[in-house]
Amino acid sequence: MKNRFNKILSYFDNLSFKYKTSFLVFIIAGGMICIVILSQISIFTIKGDFDILFDKRTKSLIKLENIKDTYKVNIQDTLKDMEQENITYNQAKEVLQLAQQLINKNWESYKKEDSIKNDEFITSFIKKFILKDENIDENIILKENIIKNINQKMLQIKSKLNKININDKRDILSQLNLEINAISIYITSLINYDLSIAVNEKRNTQKVFNTIIIFSIFSIFIVFLFSVILSIIIIENFKQLHNTLELKVDEKTKELTELNNYLETKVSKEVAQNRKKDIIMFQQARLASLGEMLNNIAHQWRQPLGTITMIIQSFQIKMSLGKLTDKYVDEKVQDALLLANNMSNTLDDFKNFFDPDKVKSKFEIKNCIEHSIDLSKYLLTKENIHIELVVKDNMKINSYYNELSHVFLNIISNSKDALCSTVDKDDRIIKIIVNKYKNQAIINMLDNGGGIPSDIIPKIFEPYYTTKYKSAGTGIGLYMSKQIIEKHMNGSISYKNIVHKIKDNKNYNCSLFTIKIPIDSGEINEQ
Amino acid sequence: MNNKDLNILHDFNILYLEDDENLLKHTTDVLEDFVNNIYAVKTVNEALDILLNKKVDVIVSDILLENENGIDFLTHLKSKNINIPTILTTAHTDTKYLLDAIKLKVENYIVKPINIKELLNSLHDILLPIVQQKELIKNNNVIKTISAITDSKQVEIVKFIINNLDNENLFIASYTDIMEEFSISKPTLIKLFKELAEKNILVKVQHKTYRFNESSLENL
Repeated sequence: MKNRFNKILSYFDNLSFKYKTSFLVFIIAGGMICIVILSQISIFTIKGDFDILFDKRTKSLIKLENIKDTYKVNIQDTLKDMEQENITYNQAKEVLQLAQQLINKNWESYKKEDSIKNDEFITSFIKKFILKDENIDENIILKENIIKNINQKMLQIKSKLNKININDKRDILSQLNLEINAISIYITSLINYDLSIAVNEKRNTQKVFNTIIIFSIFSIFIVFLFSVILSIIIIENFKQLHNTLELKVDEKTKELTELNNYLETKVSKEVAQNRKKDIIMFQQARLASLGEMLNNIAHQWRQPLGTITMIIQSFQIKMSLGKLTDKYVDEKVQDALLLANNMSNTLDDFKNFFDPDKVKSKFEIKNCIEHSIDLSKYLLTKENIHIELVVKDNMKINSYYNELSHVFLNIISNSKDALCSTVDKDDRIIKIIVNKYKNQAIINMLDNGGGIPSDIIPKIFEPYYTTKYKSAGTGIGLYMSKQIIEKHMNGSISYKNIVHKIKDNKNYNCSLFTIKIPIDSGEINEQ
Repeated sequence: MNNKDLNILHDFNILYLEDDENLLKHTTDVLEDFVNNIYAVKTVNEALDILLNKKVDVIVSDILLENENGIDFLTHLKSKNINIPTILTTAHTDTKYLLDAIKLKVENYIVKPINIKELLNSLHDILLPIVQQKELIKNNNVIKTISAITDSKQVEIVKFIINNLDNENLFIASYTDIMEEFSISKPTLIKLFKELAEKNILVKVQHKTYRFNESSLENL
């Protein structure tokens, strides 16, 4: 039993939520309908019973009572009056006839009412179902007998009354009295019988009522029980659902945090990688300019080296010819030392150039630019580029000398490339103009290389952007320049295309780089 | 240097084109001891000026000049039909210059830093044929002059003998052959051979075969 119950419960548990709720709704609705139907039935049953009791029993009883009264009062009294001759025979006859008519009428209506069957289907069905027709059969026979007797007696009284005449009224009258008494007894027993039936029916009604009440209470209880059970199951289901949902949410949250962590580490990794890339990029840029610089060093060294070699050999030659004089040796050694010193300076220049500045230093901006021009002189002369430096305001600034020089070199190199690819050998000009505006040193660097196409201008300061063939540029120079000027020196660098009379009052399409570097105010005062 | 007689350079003028002032000065200082005249110039224009006004035997030129190019300079000379032997000096070992140099038929291509011995030897090699040419003409003239004032027949015969020497310096001929060639008397011919034999110049090895002894000429 318990097993089965558990089975059913588990079956319900396993039902999907949708079925459970619809089942609950079904149960509640079904229960409600049941209860409503039952209450309706009981009300109708009771009402029907009441109607029957009133109509069939009470009314018929009244009619029987009337018949009895008519016999007793009208007929017996009239007969008595006639006997004592208080009334005339004809009068009596008339009264008797009237009484008989009344009796007939009442009797007929009684029989009629009695024969009316209870034809309400439901109530009779339920009654049949509940009462199972206990002792009604014999009672009906009894009743029929009584009614038969009454009919006989009535016919006898009728015939005797018709036989009444003025002559021998005593006999007939006494007989009639007896008959009337007998019929009174019959009618009384019929009344009793009807009453007993009424009582019986009343009891039946009570029974039906009780049964229905019990049934409805029972069904209410069952509906209530089912509802509670289902509600509990559904609440359990809710809880379970809630739990699983919570579990799922927890799981997803965990997944999300994991993903978040992963992303975080990835982002930090990427950032680190980016930083590394930046460093590599700067190194690349440094290497690229190193290559360029090496060319410069090589050329700047080659000439004095050749001369020194020549001087050394000249000693040998002169000696072999016997022409090696003190004066000659002095002169040549002097020259050789000078050259060697120059070579050493060149080396220092380049070495400093590749040494990153760790501290700011005071220097004249003019010197820095001149130095940068010197460093790139070899390439500029080789490409026949004329470089012009106009210093309107020379000033000392407090900044990173080598880095700034790097920037100048980058831009000069950029201009050089532009000039080489676009301009005739005779017209290649780079012009550098230095002046002061408020607290800033402004360096304008122009070249007549035709400028940069306007759709490219926004990209020129981006890393790895290059218009040159792969071998010619790394695409880092201007990016690095911007980084140096903006991040290290708090300055700014910008570019635009202009038209400028750079030479011979002729208009040229020029590119213009403008570098603004703040002058350390303390340094100006010192100056 | 000692292998070669650099004294032959003394008679020649050199044009030296180099844009590096220091190198120009010091190289000139060395070279001027060896040559008659050295014209040290820094630009192509100066060089052209010198070429117009002076006699130049050899040009020594740098390839990369300030704003100019030694190759272009040489091409210009070639186009004007001026053919003066040239030595190129350069700091570059670039093959493109080398190819141009070969096309211009320069005498030598010296990579900087200049080895002065290499330069001097190179100059010697270029100038030697010129010197020898001069020497040859001079000797010819001497012989011609001598033959004009002495017995010309004897000179002719000596020429014939030297011209007919085989690879081992052997002269193979009979008196009759020579007499048929030149209308000369036998006694005169015998006397000539005798004289040459005495001086150990032409020694008889066997019949009709004589050895020309070159070294004996040195001792005359």
